[in-house]
Amino acid sequence: MTALVTGGTGFLGRHVVAELLRRGATVRCVLRPSSSEEELRAVAAAHRPDRLEVVRGNLTRPDFCDRAAAGCDTVYHVAAELNGATAVLFLGNVVSTRILADAAARAGVRRFVLVSSLGVYGTTAVPTGGVLDETCPLDPAPHLRDPYSYSKVAQEKVTWAAYHAGRLPLVVVRPGVIYGPGRDCLTARVGLRLGKLMVVMGGRQPMPYTHVANCARAVVLAGEVAGVEGRAFNVVDDELPTGRDLARRYRAEVGGIRRVTVPRWAIGPLSGLCEWYHRRSRGQLPAVLTRYKSQAMWRPMRFPNTRAKEALGWQPEIGLEAGLRETLAVLRRPPAGI
Amino acid sequence: MDSGKVRVAVIGCGQIADAHLGEVRKIRDAEAVAVCDHYPELAEQAGARFGVPWAYTDVARMLTEARPDVVHVTTPPHSHAPLALQALAAGVHVYVEKPFTVTVAEADEVFAAADRHGRLVCVGHDHLFDPCWAELQAAVRRGELGRVVHIDSVMGYDLSGPFGRVLSGDPDHWVHRLPGGLFQNNISHAVYKVTDFLPDDRPEVWATWFGPPGRLPTELRVMFRGADATANILFSSQARPVRRVAQVYGTRACVEVDLDGQTLRWTRPAGMPGPFGKIQRPWRHLAEAARSWGRNLWRFARSDLHYFAGMNRLFREFYRAVHAGGPSPTPPRDVRRVTVIMDDVFEACRRAAGGGK
Repeated sequence: MTALVTGGTGFLGRHVVAELLRRGATVRCVLRPSSSEEELRAVAAAHRPDRLEVVRGNLTRPDFCDRAAAGCDTVYHVAAELNGATAVLFLGNVVSTRILADAAARAGVRRFVLVSSLGVYGTTAVPTGGVLDETCPLDPAPHLRDPYSYSKVAQEKVTWAAYHAGRLPLVVVRPGVIYGPGRDCLTARVGLRLGKLMVVMGGRQPMPYTHVANCARAVVLAGEVAGVEGRAFNVVDDELPTGRDLARRYRAEVGGIRRVTVPRWAIGPLSGLCEWYHRRSRGQLPAVLTRYKSQAMWRPMRFPNTRAKEALGWQPEIGLEAGLRETLAVLRRPPAGI
Repeated sequence: MDSGKVRVAVIGCGQIADAHLGEVRKIRDAEAVAVCDHYPELAEQAGARFGVPWAYTDVARMLTEARPDVVHVTTPPHSHAPLALQALAAGVHVYVEKPFTVTVAEADEVFAAADRHGRLVCVGHDHLFDPCWAELQAAVRRGELGRVVHIDSVMGYDLSGPFGRVLSGDPDHWVHRLPGGLFQNNISHAVYKVTDFLPDDRPEVWATWFGPPGRLPTELRVMFRGADATANILFSSQARPVRRVAQVYGTRACVEVDLDGQTLRWTRPAGMPGPFGKIQRPWRHLAEAARSWGRNLWRFARSDLHYFAGMNRLFREFYRAVHAGGPSPTPPRDVRRVTVIMDDVFEACRRAAGGGK
């Protein structure tokens, strides 16, 4: 099997490449012209370096995407812009996905796996403490969310349009927050980071985290298991951390932060206040918090992973304790060269 | 303008379009009626976030259907002139982001078309309309500096910032295809601050650009000599903090204008002799800093500290000119002069690097 992987040098992408090589696939990685392939080569060296091929180019170029997709059985579209202006995120996440999906359709691939995000759901219809699963609709007003979530909703829409037109054998994987060694685990799901101050929002609600190796396995399975085209799978581990526990542990084992907690009852009014001031001051301060974003981000909900387990045969093999231990150990290590 | 509001359309929905749409939204006498981009997804996201009713991928169709009074061109510079010409031919006034055009010939063509069609062209020289710069201009008019003899214009750039990251990670980015590369996309801001006080059409230019070995140039140093004054430009991607500062030297005093800090810092001849002068000068700076602090605090309380304040004022003046039929707030002669001088700077850099013409 030949798999095309985008974002192969990224945090999740490297694990997806490793998992594919481990399973005997031939992997063609799409890299940006400026990306270093050193770490990718190191990943491949541990498995089958001869089965790794690197192509470089820009995913917004249809001719490049045609060349990249030619002869591939499966496309794993893992690449994503995580930061930047909305326009940058749309160019990197939406435009490029549409062009790659069209190329994959022309190349007649057997499966197109899109790595989306758990953030694409509209949560207004989910009651507090309710279940957020694959039956929830995509966010109907994603432009009111953060630019990343907005771009991921739009990204899904362009691939679903191709699927419904009968052009793309699509499977969507929607991971929660991906953590693991090499990435900070104090994310926006925990709260806001203001310099050394970690403002924990609520703090008691379980957060939809998944270890990067667990997630990579789910992504690979989504490309292999037969008969799952047209389905989406939430990928969240069994044991979920709370923001309070994570921040407390981070402070004890890594240090360098102070923790302040905003109680859950105060998040709504605080978000409303931020929104009001943003409007009143005509944007003098950005609307860091809005009620719509806060509701999607910090309200207690349950995150089942039943569908991925049943349909893909996936199990999150790395537990929370083991995953956090290795993550915090890497964060504790001083940067290289010091 | 049936509703009495200037109908605005934005072509090019990249990062800077957000600033344009955000500022247009603040202007009571204007409304954004359409956005347009080569990629439909980019047009749609801009429209959705800023409540713009129409999103297009075809400029001609947008001009016909949305019937804007003014078009803002916020595309990459290579397309500024063709899009401006298309809009002018359709009878629409045009606001063009900096840099105005890639070449002087293109600039001349656009201004000729504007004359032919009786429409205005405004260029994004928005720092000249920043409250601090306006304060400087007023002080010069009052004669507080005396005659201006030199200007230092400093512009910092962050290659790891929102736009810098994009262009430094993509060797095929359109910025790298500009004759003046990174500088052509940015130094208009530094150059028009100089030309605001250096009236020469074509001052003498010495310039050099450089960067890390084997990489594209990221640093630029320029010196100008006019008939009555001189100027320097320092463009640096390395110096921190990233600053937008100008120091203007007059025969009576000099002043530093800091657009990021929104402060003016004056240095006047000491009124006291010898060591007393050394006490007097820091005291004056201390008193001035206290006044600036109080003023900025007051402006913050009044929600008057905005990064794009200059852009907002320039839009208002342009729309007023459109409405009343007055001249553009960015006079064609000044805009052309900036374009000519930028070409001269890049030519001097190429000569200094041994590249010739």
